[in-house]
Amino acid sequence: MNNYALVGRLVIGDDGKTLTQTSIPRLMNAYDEQAIEAALRFRDAGTECTIAVVCAGAESGDVLKHAAAMGADEIVSIPIEATTVDYHVMGDLLAAYVQSSGGADLVLCGRQASDDDQGVVPAILAERLDMPLVSIAREVALTDGGGVRVTRVTPDGDEIVECAGPAIVTISNELGTPRYPTMAKRMQARKKQPTVVEVASLGLADTALQPRVTLTKQFVPTVQSSCQMIEGASAAELADALVAKLREENVL
Amino acid sequence: MSGPAVVACTWGVATSDIEELLTLGRTVAGSLGGELRWLVLGALPEGATDTAGRFGVGGVDHIEDAKLGTSGSDAYVAALAQYCTDSTPQLLLFNQTFQVRDAAPRLAARLGVGIVMNGIAIEQDGGTLRVTASAFGGDTRTVYDLAGATPQLVSVSANAVAPEAAATATNPEVRKVAVDLGAVEERVRVVTPPKREGPRLEDAQTIVAGGRGLADAANFKLVEELAAALGGVAGASRPIVDDGWADPSQQVGLTGKITRPGLYIAAGISGASQHMVGCSAAKTIVAINTDPDAAIFKHARYGLVGDCLEILPELTRAAKAR
Repeated sequence: MNNYALVGRLVIGDDGKTLTQTSIPRLMNAYDEQAIEAALRFRDAGTECTIAVVCAGAESGDVLKHAAAMGADEIVSIPIEATTVDYHVMGDLLAAYVQSSGGADLVLCGRQASDDDQGVVPAILAERLDMPLVSIAREVALTDGGGVRVTRVTPDGDEIVECAGPAIVTISNELGTPRYPTMAKRMQARKKQPTVVEVASLGLADTALQPRVTLTKQFVPTVQSSCQMIEGASAAELADALVAKLREENVL
Repeated sequence: MSGPAVVACTWGVATSDIEELLTLGRTVAGSLGGELRWLVLGALPEGATDTAGRFGVGGVDHIEDAKLGTSGSDAYVAALAQYCTDSTPQLLLFNQTFQVRDAAPRLAARLGVGIVMNGIAIEQDGGTLRVTASAFGGDTRTVYDLAGATPQLVSVSANAVAPEAAATATNPEVRKVAVDLGAVEERVRVVTPPKREGPRLEDAQTIVAGGRGLADAANFKLVEELAAALGGVAGASRPIVDDGWADPSQQVGLTGKITRPGLYIAAGISGASQHMVGCSAAKTIVAINTDPDAAIFKHARYGLVGDCLEILPELTRAAKAR
């Protein structure tokens, strides 16, 4: 989802920890959308591949249909009550799915969720599947040996890395805007039913489904405003008044 | 529980970040009734023993190995996992860097323990560790309870706490800790390392940042000119980085740089929480915006209502005039 549209409109629900449906639309995480875009670009470039989009949680139908409309070959739903899922459970579920479906040549994830910003599931998935982790990618290319060459957006600038496949790559917003499906594709996708994989069929131990981290509360922090407005009749006056003020306060 | 209550783990971060982490670690160790240790991976920072003493650290553990120091996380995860097995700490704290964003959750998975990222406060409530984190790009705070096996892991946001030396200094010793990384082959190989150009936003004392109010890519130079006149560094909000008006390395905010300058001038920036995460620790924030109701004014010390395209050149002129 696009956080820029949400500023100041977030309403915490009666449970004191989740946001109300009216203040927050149920959309696909924008980083995940960019991960799907990254996958579709391989196919656009002529790579023969099957793109499966997997979503674990409750009510994932619309999100998966959007993935299908974008161009996913397969959409997979793992129904589970969201309140019983922490990052470990999510990582274990997704890892178990990847293994049970015969493995993957490449796993792409959004760099983080744009609601909780935690961004730990890809790393947990990498450990569970024993795959190398390459995070914050702006560009992903396949190498001859079945590996990947990734341009990462690090705080110090772009870093280019390579690793053997299969790998987990997390996609950052610098990849660019994901495609918006045409009306025809959206109509088609409406009819597409996700493959439902029941949690019980994944053969996970009870301990794997035990959350270690539980959200107990969420709140909107208050900001104490103490802004002094600088007065001036023109841009020049405003600038002179500000610089004088900053010099007076020894900020400059 | 024989191990230390809290271990603050650091590598490759500035002293100010370390001081924040040690301050938080000392408070939490106190509430757990145990010791704070500081684990350094890689080279010891300059003056480490002195810093540790001033911030009340019980002891410094030092892991040095040729396999550390890469941008990959394989060696760090292996070293930390061995350390945790041998030292059995209750809680591990990290400064949240892009590398910790990879390494800490992998460690959590390997040890099967709980983890919270973006942590800003930690308390102990009757045997339950409760962590407050920033979410929704800074719009909300989430509170998590951690259960199950230890050590529990918390990655702490920059500027979460103000550094504060201990009331009573300690006299910590540095203990070399041996780990066996012989079996580790870093799987991710760096082909081209990042080229850091110019001064770092994270270290800048003065930052002038521009947003959509600049109206056009060509106007970003107005931001750069004022930054130069003030001896500072130019920054940008995410929307204009997404549009290609500024380089991603100049982005201030949640998915960019977390800064703490003395002076932060925000020109044509609305003040979305995602942006404020990256600049709210500035001592003085100046906001320039045409909209008097813009959220940025709530965070600013001084506000100028007007067009930044007109005000920026005037500020450059006024700053140069002495």
